[in-house]
Amino acid sequence: MMSWKELQNTSFYESPARERAIGLVDEGTFKELIAPIDKFTSPHLPVLGEAVCFDDGVVTGVGKIGTRPVFVISQEGRFIGGAVGEVGGAKISGLFQVALQLYDKIVDKYPNDYESRIPAVVFSFETGGVRLHESNAGLLAHAEIMEWIQKCRNKVPVISLVGSKVGCFGGMGFVCVATDLVIMSELGRIGLTGPEVIEEVMGKKEFDSTDRALIYRTTGGKHKYIMRDCAFLVDDSIEAFRNQIEEVLKMPYSEIASYRSIGSLELVEEQLSLVGLSTELHPKDSKDVWRYFGNENADQIQDLYYEDFMNSVKIRPRGGR
Amino acid sequence: MRDDANISWDSLKRDRIERIQAAIPLVKMGKEVDASNAVALLETVIKPYDKVNIEGDNQKQADFLAKSLCEVDVEKIHDLHMVQSSISLGSHLDLFEKGIAKKIDFSFSGPQADRLARMIDQGTIELGDIHTYLELYARYFIDLTPRVALVAAYQADRNGNLYTGFNTEDTPVVIESVKFKQGIVVAQVNEIVDQLPRVDIPADWVDFVIEAPNPFYVEPLFTRDPALITDAQVLRAMMAIKGIYAEYGVQRINHGIGFDTAAIELLLPTYGEELGLKGKICSYFALNPHPSLIPAIESGWVKSIHCFGGEVGMENYIRNRPDIFFTGPDDSLRSNRAYAQMAGHYALDMFIGGTLQIDKYGNSSTATAERITGFGGAPNMGCDAKGRRHSSEAWLKCGQEYGMREQLTGDMPRGKRLVVQLQETFREKLAPGFVDRLDAWKLADKAGLDIPPVMIYGDDLTHIVTEEGIAYLHKCASLDERMAAIRAVAGYTEVGLSADEAETQALREKGIVKTPEDLGIDITKANRNMLAAKNVRELVKWSKGLYEPPARYRNW
Repeated sequence: MMSWKELQNTSFYESPARERAIGLVDEGTFKELIAPIDKFTSPHLPVLGEAVCFDDGVVTGVGKIGTRPVFVISQEGRFIGGAVGEVGGAKISGLFQVALQLYDKIVDKYPNDYESRIPAVVFSFETGGVRLHESNAGLLAHAEIMEWIQKCRNKVPVISLVGSKVGCFGGMGFVCVATDLVIMSELGRIGLTGPEVIEEVMGKKEFDSTDRALIYRTTGGKHKYIMRDCAFLVDDSIEAFRNQIEEVLKMPYSEIASYRSIGSLELVEEQLSLVGLSTELHPKDSKDVWRYFGNENADQIQDLYYEDFMNSVKIRPRGGR
Repeated sequence: MRDDANISWDSLKRDRIERIQAAIPLVKMGKEVDASNAVALLETVIKPYDKVNIEGDNQKQADFLAKSLCEVDVEKIHDLHMVQSSISLGSHLDLFEKGIAKKIDFSFSGPQADRLARMIDQGTIELGDIHTYLELYARYFIDLTPRVALVAAYQADRNGNLYTGFNTEDTPVVIESVKFKQGIVVAQVNEIVDQLPRVDIPADWVDFVIEAPNPFYVEPLFTRDPALITDAQVLRAMMAIKGIYAEYGVQRINHGIGFDTAAIELLLPTYGEELGLKGKICSYFALNPHPSLIPAIESGWVKSIHCFGGEVGMENYIRNRPDIFFTGPDDSLRSNRAYAQMAGHYALDMFIGGTLQIDKYGNSSTATAERITGFGGAPNMGCDAKGRRHSSEAWLKCGQEYGMREQLTGDMPRGKRLVVQLQETFREKLAPGFVDRLDAWKLADKAGLDIPPVMIYGDDLTHIVTEEGIAYLHKCASLDERMAAIRAVAGYTEVGLSADEAETQALREKGIVKTPEDLGIDITKANRNMLAAKNVRELVKWSKGLYEPPARYRNW
């Protein structure tokens, strides 16, 4: 295993769940909760003759960033595509629960001085959504996690990170954008129905899932940043994600909450106005939308390296169009 | 004595002239025939029982002519004998279902392997022989000369000169055999232009030219995304570089296509540099333009590469690196499969690649019971070229170490090509990489082949590299010792489990088996961080933006 310092410069995209979890918080502070040694494994997979994993595909634990306790959820794409099953789902819900309990304790103990001490939840997504082998339990887990995110509102900031190999798809696509804000690298992808499934159902003409450039134009970090579906776009290293979390934690809670995509009438109207735009604009490709929002260099955007992109990009204005 | 009055010595020539004259009404201008007349043209110049070549190369495909041949009237044309290097398209096999063709001689059938096996089983296709590329080209000039060739080029002018450019591949060798035996050559081109960038095939050698409705299809076959290389592949690549490339000073190489060899290419500027090997290994290649070789080229490792074919996306890069690649007066790549295979057979010190199965004797095959994939070109490089007479450091050293040489040629010195297989002991879906008996036997049985299709024979194989170690098979003095060396590196497969610990230890002491520790390789260092590029985008960066990967590899 790499040292914490080595992890900082490592590609976030390539890093396994545990290395991400360790590297995202301050050096030496990560403590895994319900670790592999506890062997909480899926009861459903053995019935189907499938191998289990001692962490059930998700690393949960707590560390510190500065003065703040940070609860980390990190999904492992190499185990069944990071899909959420019953045990992994319960670990995630449990972590939110512990974070809220800690919040209450801190507010109790420091009624006048708790802002700089309150915990945050950081969720590093790498998942295709529900684990089909245990679909009901997996779906239920999604619903529970959604509920915990709502319970955290106005108390514990919940930050999504998307920049891993599998991306963030299926039901977890919903979960991810229901948090306070999303941090992505350009290699991150967020969507609901995966590209292969769209192609299978709607045909290759509608969506060619072998066209990786198309997939990135449609679901990738740059597009999500232009569309304001992600609040911050960072370089592909654990350190870059970590630094951005640190910046976010310095913000007053109201500022963090201002990056939300859902949760108010205003935001619903904003989303609806975008639906309206798409029926007027009839975009054939994301590039048409990028151009609409003022990016004359839409054809070059995909090939721009991070700095050049950040220096030149124009993103969707707040409020819709 | 023959009666001269009744003998004709030019029947082929007269037949050719007759066929061409019959097609004159279909010609628009010069040698140009409209795409709408393609079927009529083929019905005119092809006769039943002809030997016909459809240019189906490893990469480019005369797909429009193949489709047109499927549409001919089976009353007029039937029982053709197809001779072609690759069976790549559905239309290549549709010909047999329609009764237009009856028999086939070929080299490679990767994409159509399942269907081909079924059709042979059902008796729809009469199978001639399965060849390597060089063998098939050789037979074009002996007993399988096509009467008609349907070829593909990028451009033609109205006189019939062809520009085959980047993907020249098989066109010259096919046309050479057909045209100079009074045959007929029909070319499909992407466009007819007034001025060609360069002439690859002179107009004299071409009879008809058709501008196809769509550009011919080319598949990017040689791109391996570095993002998919595993740590185990990095380990094997490090072992190969230290235990074989460096050990023998291997300079002239062909890399089989696969992630293991891509890992080696991507380790040259990092691990290779660390071992101080630049200039000492990997200077010359017979190789398709692998994008994964870009970092090594850019770091000054490679002196020269001759290519079998092209690779989609590498056009502009190659155009800007003429010191390294063979390019034409127009600066674009000139690939030529026949010459590259010849170079691969005679001028290489080493072939290194992967396979599906290796048996306990060291024979290897990519065949499975349900698929007839053919050979392609690997066996001509994955063998000891017995006609070789020139010497080189690596070749000589391998020959000196050859444990059975004295039993075969006494005290006469002779070199030996290094033939190396990189093998994971368990492949995808836990399929064992080492087996007691190759699936090729089942296929031979099922398809009625004279011999099981073996890609590389055990007596040609000199080294096996697995994550367990390297077996230096050529050092063995007997088949028994060779089998023990194979068992020693076969891990937890059925073959590996029968290894005897004491025997393996003895082989290690003799230097016939070397583990990563024996080679002085730190396993904890064997991970993806060693790769000079970890993804396609980094390859683009290394190429200074000259490599333009196809959309399917653009993971950004």
